[in-house]
Amino acid sequence: MEVVKTTTGEQLYQKVLDNGLRVYVMTKPGFQKKYAVFSTKYGSFDSKFKLNNEIIEVPDGIAHFLEHKLFEDQEMHVFERFAQYGASVNAYTSYTMTSYLFSTIEYFDEAFQELLSFVQKPYFTSENVEKEKGIIEQELKMYEDHPDRKIYNNLLEALYHVHPIRIDVGGTVESIQKITVDLLNMCYETFYQPSNMAVFVIGDLEPTRVFDLAAEHTVNWFFKFQEIQRIYPEEPVEILKPSVEERLSVSRPRYYLGFKNQPYNAGRALMKQQLAMSMIWRTIAARSSPVYQELYSSGLIDESFGASFSATPEYALSIVGGETDQPEKLDQRLRQAIQDLQKNKLQVADVERMKRRALGNYLASFNSLEYIANSFLSHEFNGTSILDFPQILEEITVDEINEMLNDGLDLKNSAVSILLPE
Amino acid sequence: MEHIQLGDGINLYLYETSQFKTITTKVFVQEELSKDKVSATALIPMILRRGTKSTPTTLELARKMEELYGSAIDADIIKIGEKQIIEFYFDMVSPKLLPNGEQILAEGLRTFGELILDPVREGQGFNQQYFAQEQFNLKNLVEGLINEKRSYAYQRALQHMCKDEPHGIYKYGDTQQIKELVNEEVFEHYQQLIRSNPVDIFIVGEGISQIPELIKEWSWHRSNLRQLRPAIVKDAGQVQEVFETRDVQQGILVMGYRANQNYLDPNYYSLVVANAILGVFPHSKLFINVRERASLAYYVGSSLDGSKGIITISAGIDPSQYDKAVEIINAQIGEMQAGKITEDELERTKIGLISGMQTMADNPASIIDRNVIGVVHGQLRSLEEVIGEIEKVTLEQVQAAANQIKLDTVYFLSGMRGDL
Repeated sequence: MEVVKTTTGEQLYQKVLDNGLRVYVMTKPGFQKKYAVFSTKYGSFDSKFKLNNEIIEVPDGIAHFLEHKLFEDQEMHVFERFAQYGASVNAYTSYTMTSYLFSTIEYFDEAFQELLSFVQKPYFTSENVEKEKGIIEQELKMYEDHPDRKIYNNLLEALYHVHPIRIDVGGTVESIQKITVDLLNMCYETFYQPSNMAVFVIGDLEPTRVFDLAAEHTVNWFFKFQEIQRIYPEEPVEILKPSVEERLSVSRPRYYLGFKNQPYNAGRALMKQQLAMSMIWRTIAARSSPVYQELYSSGLIDESFGASFSATPEYALSIVGGETDQPEKLDQRLRQAIQDLQKNKLQVADVERMKRRALGNYLASFNSLEYIANSFLSHEFNGTSILDFPQILEEITVDEINEMLNDGLDLKNSAVSILLPE
Repeated sequence: MEHIQLGDGINLYLYETSQFKTITTKVFVQEELSKDKVSATALIPMILRRGTKSTPTTLELARKMEELYGSAIDADIIKIGEKQIIEFYFDMVSPKLLPNGEQILAEGLRTFGELILDPVREGQGFNQQYFAQEQFNLKNLVEGLINEKRSYAYQRALQHMCKDEPHGIYKYGDTQQIKELVNEEVFEHYQQLIRSNPVDIFIVGEGISQIPELIKEWSWHRSNLRQLRPAIVKDAGQVQEVFETRDVQQGILVMGYRANQNYLDPNYYSLVVANAILGVFPHSKLFINVRERASLAYYVGSSLDGSKGIITISAGIDPSQYDKAVEIINAQIGEMQAGKITEDELERTKIGLISGMQTMADNPASIIDRNVIGVVHGQLRSLEEVIGEIEKVTLEQVQAAANQIKLDTVYFLSGMRGDL
């Protein structure tokens, strides 16, 4: 058992079990709630892989479908198992990971055991697989009516040629029809092995007890160790098409400008890129930016305007935009602002101010058990630790940030997605 | 939670705890929801968050918050029953974790006080530019309700159900009325609210005992204190059905019920438990039957408005499944009324509710949000008290509460044109 102390005074305990499962425990004295998350490094991106020297391609949305189906149990529904303890259980799937989680006040040991056990115990029948299709179909239809999701997915289809990021995490109404019990079993066996997974537990808990429970309830885990070989298509650096437009039942137009950035490799370099890019975008799209204020005053943007940068070792993506009555004019002004920033660069005073903000936000984030646990594991899967953040923040220099301006804001690799009212 | 009366209808609530990394402050200025004033009240926080007397531009204000280690300052509108409430929010990292922490706290609170009480003025009104820009943005915000179909459907259902009650009014106002607002009149209304309406200040964090001293400097100029009327609990009349068509993929069903009692009734927690057995959890009747058994929806659930005693059930379904969904939902209410509830259902629901309440104590904003509901109803209840009430609820009481629930309005938003 290894112990690390955080800058905020928490203790993080970590251990790798004999079967390869990584287990983390962070103690939070004074909190009544306990939170645990059990994740596998398996998401919607992993639809093509090599198994026994054979290349396998599975239907889009299967990781998410599998997540839904693990809640099925032979005797009692998983929701009800947790309900006995007043615990609430949930799960989510992203591009690169699937997470199962619960929070509880009492009966932590029992609920933790349930979590470990239901994730190890798939129960797929053709009947319950068919039934799930109706539910997920309604989930996907709900997203179809979400303007933000729509404009985002459209943008990705313009930026990328073949990358799996083009497809919604849930797949499509058509693709999920092709999902079968056999396919689910194959994906489960491939990606739900202890060495591809990790557990994070946080609360006012005794770490040794948590490690003991984790070991005890994974000792009979039946799995075949197999090497995971993910296959990603060769994605060109260039974008597919510069713009995409669609009409939807919305009150006014929405405009997104997206950049296909190149991801840095895993580890600290990736975290540095995330930090630098978020500062670069704040210089244009945060309330503390003169550009933002100028656009806001001229009525081109409102509160919905903002920017984000997200990256894993598999992709890196910047998006800036929001609602506007004049997408073309906003587009023009934004391109100008981006070129100006590339020329004028970020200034020391701005970076220092943003560093103070980032440090404050980092400290405040330790209020939320869910946030710490979820972001810890997503960084862990990328080969980074959120606990390194304060040091990286201190180390990063204006020059390092400015070096990222060229690739980060390269308009050649950008595309525009617009939604228009009907 | 320590309660200090600052006088003149201003109440201060302090919650000292070392649990969090932050100090969280919220100030609530209450107003009655009314057709006449809703838009003017809604515009006030949008203007105030633009700048203060000593940080007059939004740029300066935003940069100042970054300097103060990413402090957050904001203002918005919330609705509790038939109250429209301006909520001011300030959140910063605990002084003990920062260099010069005490100075940052004092500076932050001074700016927060200014944001509430010392706006950027021009003549007899707000800064005209801020007024005009935020008037335009507020209009867009109200028109933009349609962009989130679920919130839209909920709001429309409520509008039909409570067409003669303040509860049916949308908290951000009405497009036409927003366009007609006049700067000086809104400013006058703002001054009146600050002078006369109930004000409640909540602070959660560590080492907050010196804060009352700091906020004593805030000058409210109180006079003609107002008492606001409480929300009215109404009976269900004849059931009305409303069908609306828009270009949407998914149909959204909202069913509104009157439960005939509210937060102030002695049996209120029987209703809370009844609503939760019906549709708050994934082990509730609606989720099990509409989603898991019939596979009709991804989301389905019920929620209770404690002020009005209104239960709304909503579900996203395929439009062709309307009849079936309504039938299954009605059947669940029927089960509740016939007392077809197992001991397990009751126990799991109670422990789930209690666990949820206890969880709120682990989040500073939730601690405040739970308590402000008590404040608005003039009856602050401790967590222990509420938990005790929930524990006491029996099956018979749940059934009795369920039998008071009556369907009032069925609303359906769908993309299917023509008959249904």
